[in-house]
Amino acid sequence: MTINKHITTFAGLPVKKVRATMDPPDDPGGYAWRLTTNYDGGPSRFKKRFEALVNADWVGQVTAIVVGDWGDANDDGPPLKRLIGAADRFTGLRALFLGEMTGEESEVSWINQSDVAPLLAAYPRLEVLRVRGGEGLEISPVKHESLRELAFETGGLPVEVVRGIEESDLPGLQHLELWLGTDNYGGDVTVDDLSVVLSGARWPLLSYLGLRDSEIADQVADSLAGAPVVARLSTLDLSLGMMSDVGAAALLAGQPLTHLRRLDLHHHFLSPEMMDRMRAELEAAGVELDLSKAQGSETDPGDRFISVSE
Amino acid sequence: MSPLVVIGNPDNRRVSLFRAAARAAGLTDPTVVAWRDVAAGAPVAIEAGSLVRVDSPGEDAEVDRLLRGADEPAAHGEIVGLAAWYRGFLGALRRVELAARGSRLCNDPSEIAVLFDKRACHALLRSQGIPVPPALDTPRSYAHLVSLMDDAGWSRVFVKPVHGSSASGVLALRRHRGRVLATTSVEPSQGRLFNSLRVRDYSSPETIESIVDKLAPDGLHVERWFPKADLDGMVMDLRVVVIAGRPSHVVVRTSRGPITNLHLGGARGSLQEVLERAGRRRYRAAMETCERVGVCFPGCLQVGVDLMFSSDWSRHAVAEVNAFGDLLPGLLVDGRDTYAAQLAALMPAVVA
Repeated sequence: MTINKHITTFAGLPVKKVRATMDPPDDPGGYAWRLTTNYDGGPSRFKKRFEALVNADWVGQVTAIVVGDWGDANDDGPPLKRLIGAADRFTGLRALFLGEMTGEESEVSWINQSDVAPLLAAYPRLEVLRVRGGEGLEISPVKHESLRELAFETGGLPVEVVRGIEESDLPGLQHLELWLGTDNYGGDVTVDDLSVVLSGARWPLLSYLGLRDSEIADQVADSLAGAPVVARLSTLDLSLGMMSDVGAAALLAGQPLTHLRRLDLHHHFLSPEMMDRMRAELEAAGVELDLSKAQGSETDPGDRFISVSE
Repeated sequence: MSPLVVIGNPDNRRVSLFRAAARAAGLTDPTVVAWRDVAAGAPVAIEAGSLVRVDSPGEDAEVDRLLRGADEPAAHGEIVGLAAWYRGFLGALRRVELAARGSRLCNDPSEIAVLFDKRACHALLRSQGIPVPPALDTPRSYAHLVSLMDDAGWSRVFVKPVHGSSASGVLALRRHRGRVLATTSVEPSQGRLFNSLRVRDYSSPETIESIVDKLAPDGLHVERWFPKADLDGMVMDLRVVVIAGRPSHVVVRTSRGPITNLHLGGARGSLQEVLERAGRRRYRAAMETCERVGVCFPGCLQVGVDLMFSSDWSRHAVAEVNAFGDLLPGLLVDGRDTYAAQLAALMPAVVA
């Protein structure tokens, strides 16, 4: 399974494509600017559009950038040098998406990423960083005061990335989203590896935790049942994974979840009876519960699947 | 009034739908000439002055056996002898052409021959400036395919049997740093290949190599993967039936994966939504391309064009052209299905 849809908004802004020649927009800060090449253009068209944006006299007003296909995402890592080199031009940049490609452009597990720490270091005022693709993905320990939202969308998250996040100093983090994926694509994170995340101790402001697209969704749910982090969350997102009745029952049997504003389980393998139980216990308490995209109630893990892998 | 003749498999729904359309138009019931007889080499009798429609010989194991010149019918769904099938098909088309000398053919056998040779078809379209994904030379084996991909610097390709149809034997292949992934409906079993109705992924290099090596001797056409647009989170392309030179019936095919054929679990999507996403100008340009594809096959009353929009909707390309791509039951335009629309286009000739 794969991602087939381009985003149309990012960081609350509508996405608009950068063209090599374009009229100055009325409100440069009102869009998330999408930098991408296409089938014929290759890396050179990406470079042209990137330079057009960097050299626009309104570049300082740009607040959000969505980097799509940079030419050959299968062969080359993201254009980090280019982005880092332009940090003195993108003075207003607050939100960055790296690797926003559909499966038709490059499947998530085939997008080459790299160490994103130098990028964070170059943009100390960045507030949102979302990265798609787990191949080569790293985050060396980094200190960053402004980062509110950090998301890694992968078909298999390397455990080193979890370690790098834990060892980083991110005091402002409110939204942490990890797509754990499958071990077929290098996802080797176990629940034990998540103990610092589940303690919540590193990020006092954390209100959203996403442990998504996970083969080990049931074990994750079981750990969350007694995890300190849960009390401070307003949103718990366990969507896109292989959760079965086992995980759901663990959630219901554990600490109260009724303080949550939202519990997202969409794409799951819960039985109708278990869905009814969840609704009765949580919706009644005012929790917004997403149980959409039910995939059937297969109990055998071999018959269950995560939403995004290849 | 010219009698209608259809060359087809008499029990197939293609033939039933065409006959139903003829009846509804108040025409005499078409004479059916069975592919089984044509393929067996029986004399083909066509009344002079007829209008002859050639339809698909597919979905009939005995016709398939006869065209391949094989002793045994293929097992259900087995992909076997595509090159032999094509040679037999060419011979059968030739017999139809000779028998129809005093009649008018609705689809020119030599054009059908091109349409069942993806290499020839691709070359023809390219020579006419019609946008198609670039292609590699014909690979002799998986190892050869790998070296051709490396030389071209392409990590993502579509591998198609030159003489296949309906996604039969097609692989959507990605390679990178020793990893390989193929999405396909092909299923290897006990040393043979089968078409499955389920599209699946293979990541074992040995499995993929053995599939490609089995398909290669019958001819492979390899195109660079053209990243297709999405519609509501589904991969999308269009089947455009060009009738008498005009794009007539359009079906939006959507799928979770790169292979969009409707019989492989794809679903019909909303044309209105495509119009909105592409914009009128780009949609019109795409339809103009389909018209130009029709011009490449002037002897065919209809061709079915598979048209892809790029993932950013900025351009389009032709994935396939199908000789028998008009089986879209129930799809009505101006009250006519594809068969009724063809008969309407023929009407001046039928009543002349």
